[in-house]
Amino acid sequence: MTIEYYGGCDIGSTTGKAVIISDSGIVGSSIVPREIDPEKTAVLALEQALKTIPGISSIKDLSFLIGTGYGRSEISFAGENISEISCHAMGVYFCDRSIKTIVDIGGQDVKGISINDDGTVKEFAMNDKCAAGTGRFFEAMARIFRMDISAFSDLSLNAKNLIPVTAQCSVFAETEVISLLAGKNPPENIAAGVQSAVAKRCFMLLKRVGIIPKVTMTGGCAKNRGLIKAMEKTLNEKIEPLSVDPQIIGALGAAVYAKMRG
Amino acid sequence: MGKPSLKDTAITSGYKMLNLMEMAKMSIKHGPFDMIRDIRRYPWLLDFAKVNRLVTKLSIGRRGNYRRAVGMMLNGVVKEMINYIEGIFHRQDKLVLHEDMVPPEILRAMGLSPWMPELLGIILPMIVPDSMEEYIDAAENEGVPPDLCSLPKAVIGITVKDRLPQAKAVITSNLPCDGGMSSYIYVEKKIKAPIFRLDIPHNFKDERAEIYFAGELKRMISWLEDHTPGRIDWDRLKEICEERNRMSEYELQLWEMISARPAPLAAEAVYISHLWYFNVCSGLKSSTQVFRRLVKLAEDNLKNGIAAVPDEKYRALLWNPPTMHVIDLFAVAEERYGVTCIMDSMSFNRLPFIDTSSRESMLQGIGRNIMNGPMARHTRGPMENYFDDIFHIIKRFDIDMLWMAGHIGCKNTQALNNIMREKCRTAGVPVLIIDYDLSDTRITSRQGILSQVDHFMENVMKAKRII
Repeated sequence: MTIEYYGGCDIGSTTGKAVIISDSGIVGSSIVPREIDPEKTAVLALEQALKTIPGISSIKDLSFLIGTGYGRSEISFAGENISEISCHAMGVYFCDRSIKTIVDIGGQDVKGISINDDGTVKEFAMNDKCAAGTGRFFEAMARIFRMDISAFSDLSLNAKNLIPVTAQCSVFAETEVISLLAGKNPPENIAAGVQSAVAKRCFMLLKRVGIIPKVTMTGGCAKNRGLIKAMEKTLNEKIEPLSVDPQIIGALGAAVYAKMRG
Repeated sequence: MGKPSLKDTAITSGYKMLNLMEMAKMSIKHGPFDMIRDIRRYPWLLDFAKVNRLVTKLSIGRRGNYRRAVGMMLNGVVKEMINYIEGIFHRQDKLVLHEDMVPPEILRAMGLSPWMPELLGIILPMIVPDSMEEYIDAAENEGVPPDLCSLPKAVIGITVKDRLPQAKAVITSNLPCDGGMSSYIYVEKKIKAPIFRLDIPHNFKDERAEIYFAGELKRMISWLEDHTPGRIDWDRLKEICEERNRMSEYELQLWEMISARPAPLAAEAVYISHLWYFNVCSGLKSSTQVFRRLVKLAEDNLKNGIAAVPDEKYRALLWNPPTMHVIDLFAVAEERYGVTCIMDSMSFNRLPFIDTSSRESMLQGIGRNIMNGPMARHTRGPMENYFDDIFHIIKRFDIDMLWMAGHIGCKNTQALNNIMREKCRTAGVPVLIIDYDLSDTRITSRQGILSQVDHFMENVMKAKRII
């Protein structure tokens, strides 16, 4: 019997993600840096995901492919494209049906999503006008601390106190953090202030869609352990860990939709 | 929806021609030299002259009677706007500037020529989306806070740039908001004409408030008689109120018909009609005539089983003033998703009629209309004023979803957004809150507004794009 494979490809602002599923679940996945051409990013991501699957070598071998993310409309070889909001909801639903609320922090936007019982979107709210609180913001912060992003993510876990930082604007927050560092304040306490400020912004966004437990985080920033701790404190809710890499949830949701279409 | 038929093209071309003829007549009547002088004095006249762009925008995708209704309604707007402009040219000795919550019916009954300073900020962005931005910038350069509503900011900018006509008097009120009130400080300083401020009671749902407001209107009348050549003609006021009542009767008939699913007319044909004819030129025979024709067009469509939007899939309630600089929002939404705008907060009212049996009852009726107008009752008092209307309209007009034009400058309504979300969530009504600014395209662009619609329709309504 031939195995049917279904693909989802999420072209975000900083990375491209691909997930391949079959009846047995996730069989391949990848995360690649974004190229200028979204279609090229999609090809690279899909080819890398396919490499690990025996018996399938080409994108053409997929029974159905769905594109999502900002670059979704540029993936000409996809059978369909679906909004990343719907895909994140479906991806989370695939992982854990008891989760009802998502905060998705991508490279250039933040979304709050509430999920229906069938994995579709109930409501959503998004901030795509301001960099504060997005992946780009954390990258900028890590640069100021002269750390890579993963070291910065863990920095606040050692904080004894929290130094409040205004994250209303990423430019002003940068200035503020530079001043605080220059003032010889403990970096971990400043980092805790940064994480807390972002968590508060996410909280405001989630309030708009309603915070119904269980809550989870998706997107690249869901790997930021300092942020998860700050979010749990701000929401007074546990952030449920997912069984798969939270960064590929959008692509996973697209693959699940592809399976439904195929 | 395909290309429009030859007949549809002819309908739009015909109305465009009529609009051009109206403008040509105005220019000839005024004389070419005076016209050039006044265009230099009031450069916004050039933006108004592009009104046929609005006709094009609002005709795209519309067919038959729906298209005719839009063209006819806009032609009426053009005619009355020209009459308004002629007040600046030829009746300046009788010109009175009045804020948008001050009843123009009384000014007309006094033989005065009304000019609403807010009017340019409402109508011009519909025609030229960025037309108010130079005035908004001028206001901010004067020190006006940037987060003030862009409509009063536009009024302030127009005033400080000396683009308001000189008037004999200015009438303003304590409605609808602090921003609106503050703009008249600039008008007062610049125009240097005597100013009268109507005190409209906050608690408006009782007879005491009506009596008080009627007293304020009497005080306004006698003040105007002291400061302008205007004299109240009570018989004329009665005629105006009766004419307004006739227009209200037609509007109620129209509402009855658009309650049907699918609706025979929709969107701007319904809501711009109310916005303009009830707020700017109510009580004129020509205004009633427009509503009479709208009713006829809707009746014909109903009789022949023709829907305004052939593929009506979703019925929307528009809340807050419409997205002025993307005024074709629903023309786009109709084509993309079959979304039909049935009713809006600026049109809906429950007390349309004025009792004309006595002078007192007329003033009380006019006052009641103002106090219960959307920008009054929705921005003051308990939140029930706001939400009772929303859920009443949803039920009465068989509405599927609420589109809130979330004008960033309106603090009063922004404050209610989260409560609105929660109430609609409980009631199972999907809500789209469009983040935008009423008349500043730089806050949220056209593309930004339309992508919010796309996200909502795709993710929440699970709608497929038709085109």
